[in-house]
Amino acid sequence: MHILATEGLTKRFPTVTAVDQLSVTVGSGVTGLVGANGAGKSTLIKILLGLLPPSGGTARVLDLDVTAQGAEIRRLVGYMPEHECLPPDVSATELVVHLAQMSGLPRTAARERAADVLRHVGLAEERYRPVGGYSTGMKQRVKLAQALVHDPKLIFLDEPTNGLDPRGRDEMLTLVRRIGTEFGISVLVTSHLLGELERICDHVIVIDAGRLLRSSAIGEFTQATQTVTVEVDEGLDALTARLTSDGQTVSPQGRMLVVKVLGPETYDAIRDAAVDLDLCLIRLEQGRHRIEDVFREESTSV
Amino acid sequence: MSEIYDIGYRHYDGPRLGRGYATRALALHSLRGVFGLGRPARSKIMPFSLATIMLIPAIVNIALMALIQRSEIAYSAYAVIMQAVVAVFLAAQAPTVVAPDLRYRVLPLYLSRPVAIVEYVGAKVAAMTASLFLLVAVPLTLMYAGELVIDLPGPPATGEYAGAMTMTLVLALLLSSFGLALASFTPRRGLGVASVITVYLLSFAAVPVVYGTLASTGNEAQAAWAWLMNPFWLVDSVQSWVFGTPPHSIEGDYPNGPASAVILVVLICVGLGALALRYRKAASR
Repeated sequence: MHILATEGLTKRFPTVTAVDQLSVTVGSGVTGLVGANGAGKSTLIKILLGLLPPSGGTARVLDLDVTAQGAEIRRLVGYMPEHECLPPDVSATELVVHLAQMSGLPRTAARERAADVLRHVGLAEERYRPVGGYSTGMKQRVKLAQALVHDPKLIFLDEPTNGLDPRGRDEMLTLVRRIGTEFGISVLVTSHLLGELERICDHVIVIDAGRLLRSSAIGEFTQATQTVTVEVDEGLDALTARLTSDGQTVSPQGRMLVVKVLGPETYDAIRDAAVDLDLCLIRLEQGRHRIEDVFREESTSV
Repeated sequence: MSEIYDIGYRHYDGPRLGRGYATRALALHSLRGVFGLGRPARSKIMPFSLATIMLIPAIVNIALMALIQRSEIAYSAYAVIMQAVVAVFLAAQAPTVVAPDLRYRVLPLYLSRPVAIVEYVGAKVAAMTASLFLLVAVPLTLMYAGELVIDLPGPPATGEYAGAMTMTLVLALLLSSFGLALASFTPRRGLGVASVITVYLLSFAAVPVVYGTLASTGNEAQAAWAWLMNPFWLVDSVQSWVFGTPPHSIEGDYPNGPASAVILVVLICVGLGALALRYRKAASR
């Protein structure tokens, strides 16, 4: 079953078309929604939550129609907004318990779930202090906790790593991955940093100016082309000449050599060349094709 | 930075209650917020000190009843006499009900849940109305309990007490719809407080000016309409018409009972309508 599916989805504002004839389907697991700022990611999420009526097309979330069954969808879905959304004078516990009740959990269940979920996102004793004194990283965790507290089937995370330092970013991404795998909750996570999603997503949707650029499994993105990076102490030119004469596609990149992998024989050729030329081999690294490159190719070709 | 504990995730398969429950939970949460419960201590100072001030005349009156066997403060007059305190309470606490959700953009967290914007606004109005009702009804009830215990000569003024309680509820609805509308248009808390108190002071100060001008030029009948410019006297005029209590205006009678009731209903609708418009705009953001 598809977690969500759109068909010719369009949203026009008076001055701009935010979503343009978008048709995608998303399965369970972690799905990345990638696009530059203003590509229509947040608008798409608001439509999927049933908060913005689409100008055209249809969208179904968990097999419920967004225009007719918005309230039903919002009962089963969690949402973490991109912007700051926490009142400063309430403690994290008080806020998350209250929002759990707003999702329909009875008071005792709301308390238990809030305690559980705050622990899962990594908030300890500080959860009893007013949110106003929290760091950005802690605030992001509270925002994530309130989206998870009612144990949704699907969770929309709008730029969860916004404003975090590299370590906070890492922890947040690990947490998002865990939500998708261990917790068994499907995730739609947006980001404008494409490399970030590469680590945690099963499937990536790339949109630009509201239109679909590409939607495919993460494997297809990274397997598109494979390269191997070779670094030698000296004799780079000799190695380039040797590999080229062996029929390999070689491009020098600074002190390193990027060789296109044609098959297992490419590795043999590099090994033999290094031995024959008596070179000091420093590094031989699988060059992962990054989503950035795909995005660049796709946008130039469009 | 705290550690992420690895204790495994548990799914929730208990009951999920409906929108009515969520609306009640929001109203209760907001009501707690008005009195600063679940908030830092400094949020409790203002509401509880004002609520205590509201109790003082009731306690004094109970003492008087015990000493001179006569009630000096009528139930129907309590809100009018204490109107400044009620107005300060409204000005100080109405912004805490609506302003943070708008200012800190908490509203999307509510709207991404099953409740609709109408239920959200309804819960907020209910919470503010309940808090104002409690502010006036608790001293009234205390006074009534005092009257029953002391057992004054003659039958207890149960009818007047019941009427005063009913009109207190109407007054609370009128004040909260206007107070919340004003506070929601000015999401900064200080501005909200200032705008509510300014509107109250204008309505309070305008009465003697208009009344005096008209009365001194001999237009006694038109002058009486001046009382309706202030919400407390407006509600008192309806009370005087419906329950036959004496008018508690400073001087003169109220103009016309049914007209006052119509004005009252129209004003409540205007306040609620302004709130609805404000939130329709906020929700579409």
